[in-house]
Amino acid sequence: MSLRPVIVGGGSAGMAAAIELAHHGVPSVLFDEASRPGGVVYRGPLRAGVDLGYLGARYSKALNTLHKEFAACAGHIDLRLNSRVVGGDEQCLMVLDGEERLHQIDYSQLVLSAGCHERNVPFPGWTLPGVLLLGGLQLQIKSGVVKPLGSTVIAGTGPLLPLVACQLHAAGAKVVGVYEACAFGKIAKESLALLNKPQLFLDGLSMLGYMKLNGIPMYYGWGVVEARGEGELAEVVVAPYDNNWQPDHSRAQREPAQTLAVGYGFIPRTQLSQQLGLEHGFSDDGYLRAKSNVWQQSSQQHIHLAGDMGGIRGGEAAMLTGRIAAVSILLQREVLNAEQAIELREQYLGQLAAIKRFRAGVERYTQRGTRQIELPQADTVICRCEHVTRADIDLALEQGVEDMAGLKMRTRVSMGDCQGRMCVGYCSDRLREATGRVDVGWLRPRFPVDPIPFSAFQQPGTEA
Amino acid sequence: MNRTYDVVIAGGGVIGASCAYQLSKRKNLKIALIDAKRPGNATRASAGGLWAIGESVGLGCGVIFFRMMSAQHKRQAQGAAVVVDASTPHILPQSFFDFALQSNALYPQLHRELIERHGMDFKFERTGLKYVIYDDEDQLYAEHIVAQIPHLAEQVRWLDREALRQAEPAVSHQARGALEFLCDHQVSPFRLADAYMEAARQNGVDLFHNTNVTAVLHQGSRVSGVQTAEEGTFHCQTLINAAGAWAADLSEQATGLRIPVSPVKGQIILTERMPKLLNGCITTSDCYMAQKDNGEILIGSTTEDKGFDVSNTFPEINGLVQGAIRCIPELAQINLKRTWAGLRPGSPDELPILGPVPEVSGYLNACGHFRTGILTSAITGVMIDKVLHEEPSPVDITPFLAERFHSGAVDKVQASLT
Repeated sequence: MSLRPVIVGGGSAGMAAAIELAHHGVPSVLFDEASRPGGVVYRGPLRAGVDLGYLGARYSKALNTLHKEFAACAGHIDLRLNSRVVGGDEQCLMVLDGEERLHQIDYSQLVLSAGCHERNVPFPGWTLPGVLLLGGLQLQIKSGVVKPLGSTVIAGTGPLLPLVACQLHAAGAKVVGVYEACAFGKIAKESLALLNKPQLFLDGLSMLGYMKLNGIPMYYGWGVVEARGEGELAEVVVAPYDNNWQPDHSRAQREPAQTLAVGYGFIPRTQLSQQLGLEHGFSDDGYLRAKSNVWQQSSQQHIHLAGDMGGIRGGEAAMLTGRIAAVSILLQREVLNAEQAIELREQYLGQLAAIKRFRAGVERYTQRGTRQIELPQADTVICRCEHVTRADIDLALEQGVEDMAGLKMRTRVSMGDCQGRMCVGYCSDRLREATGRVDVGWLRPRFPVDPIPFSAFQQPGTEA
Repeated sequence: MNRTYDVVIAGGGVIGASCAYQLSKRKNLKIALIDAKRPGNATRASAGGLWAIGESVGLGCGVIFFRMMSAQHKRQAQGAAVVVDASTPHILPQSFFDFALQSNALYPQLHRELIERHGMDFKFERTGLKYVIYDDEDQLYAEHIVAQIPHLAEQVRWLDREALRQAEPAVSHQARGALEFLCDHQVSPFRLADAYMEAARQNGVDLFHNTNVTAVLHQGSRVSGVQTAEEGTFHCQTLINAAGAWAADLSEQATGLRIPVSPVKGQIILTERMPKLLNGCITTSDCYMAQKDNGEILIGSTTEDKGFDVSNTFPEINGLVQGAIRCIPELAQINLKRTWAGLRPGSPDELPILGPVPEVSGYLNACGHFRTGILTSAITGVMIDKVLHEEPSPVDITPFLAERFHSGAVDKVQASLT
């Protein structure tokens, strides 16, 4: 077996997999679409001379440790930055490099660690300039490129809300309110589960303390209902959410703001895993994700899933699943024998167990309320690429359209450049509700996953 | 669960949908349309060309098909008795011309009708089809075409280098001219199928999506219904086989005979949205191109014998990309947005298989439309409606009957192709 293992995605999962392989003397090829490895969690500043002190000492330490360990393995890792994997099959990948040339890369084993993307929640005004996704805003802060002007409102659910609020404040931005959709009582109920990661739990408490100290109000059981402004965001309308996230419009309040960061969770990226023909299933919250076993192997043994692609658990768990995937590859390549591999795997699984219990608690309290799908009004755009409105979708459902493929043909949702990354969540929620079925089909992502120039095709190179 | 209908249509592609629509217009029948969504639906992998003359004379994906066959023959059968000459156009029989041209003539009225009565717009556009000529071989090919269709002289126009440059400024200056077919236009293929389908639903047709036929029921020599995996039993007076690339299986279940329909894979690519770059549809001997109403340019299409495989493969995609850039050099600067593939329901003589079969009642074929299902869906729906009501068909159905494959005449047709 002369081909090297290939890793797609140089975030915490992909880096950890490459490091684990390198520690056992196995060279790998690692592709990442950014100009620096680290992924959204650990990419670090994009330009020199930026002090990330405002992100906290513990974050800086973790960032440095990972990058140092990765650098020490550099001899064994063929790092290809600015490279997008735009397609592939069970034997090779099609990669667009920084010069926009297309390459065919053959592989022996594969680790898919392309992460997740944010869940889009359409509501009136969600496409106004000034309305951002929470993770996107955090990435701007982390990369040291830009920070929001004026007042920022944060709305969503989960532990990222207070974290970003604190990071924004420490970076000098003004946060006027944080709106957590889930009621406080529901979070308190999960205290025991959350204590599985005492440090994270304490971090959470200290963040809440920091917010209190600095006058950043936190509202539990409130959510966004509308963004308003002429050409750009001027005010955010928030209202109390009930247990199913049905907003009480009679108690709605207006908050002047220039930036609204919306963070209602993440969904695994499946464009590539679907194109490779792997088996998928639906997670509890209705989203598609590739299936994997205790070795992080997909339905095809030589293709592994690591990090958030196999289920959203955050950066620390991503590193552990990346290492387990690497151990599986080491076993497949007979670098380790079964006994050694299982011992290593169990060690990583042990560390993962506490995180899983912690995440289960988070998942329970951040569980999506179903009524949020009623937020858009008739003229609210759902599919941004093709400008499909809620009224278009309502009409198609009235006409008896009952699956994603049918909805796509009828309304053009998902036929744009993003291949439905933005709208598939809302559309499948609506279809599930209209038909009462769990499986309403999903979009089949086509080659290329991202648009590529025609000129990229001339004389493609093949390499192993 | 037991359901009873007058007509059950198996297949929800453009042909099944057109049959459902035409039959539903009289409002005298209880109709069900059953569709199994399988990867490779040819309707959705079509360019939506209404290239009545172009397709009849073997342009569009026909020329690509023909070039491929002839190349294959040259490779496989060196010195064999039959050598196909790629410079000779592949002209379909007169019966197909009539069928295609009559179908084409239905679209303007159909377009108005579906918008006015049902609120469904399938984006009919008058574009013409230009066969772009680069070299002597292309020129010869075009001249052969014109010589074969003297009766259509009014629908054909030669463009010299200058005229082509004015009509299509984006076409490569390497091109020395074009042959244009004035009555060949375009629609949005999936909107056409969707328009027929929604209009049929508004007319009372029951639609069963994601439903698979598992068996055909009989009473003596009469087909009396179908069994489905998801929705139980459907009893009916007439079963219409509009199962596209999967039609042979259903035919065998219904009649005991396997009609010669097999999947012919076509890969297709799509650009991002562009300002208007093409004024009309274009075909070359490498590929065809159609800029759709939203600015995307569809480029097709390969012709491959790969069974039911619908994967996209790099060498074939690259072939289309290079063919497109050769014709429209500006494309090198823009983005390819998507690729996919469909399975044409191919028949040996490239003619569809329509109407009843001997000794089996309660069964009609509406399949085998190969590469012209979008174009000929309109007339197919009309003909099936007439046949079912025992009224005269606007086009003689005889050349399209399945019987032709069981008489001596067929062997000749097949011999000329293989």
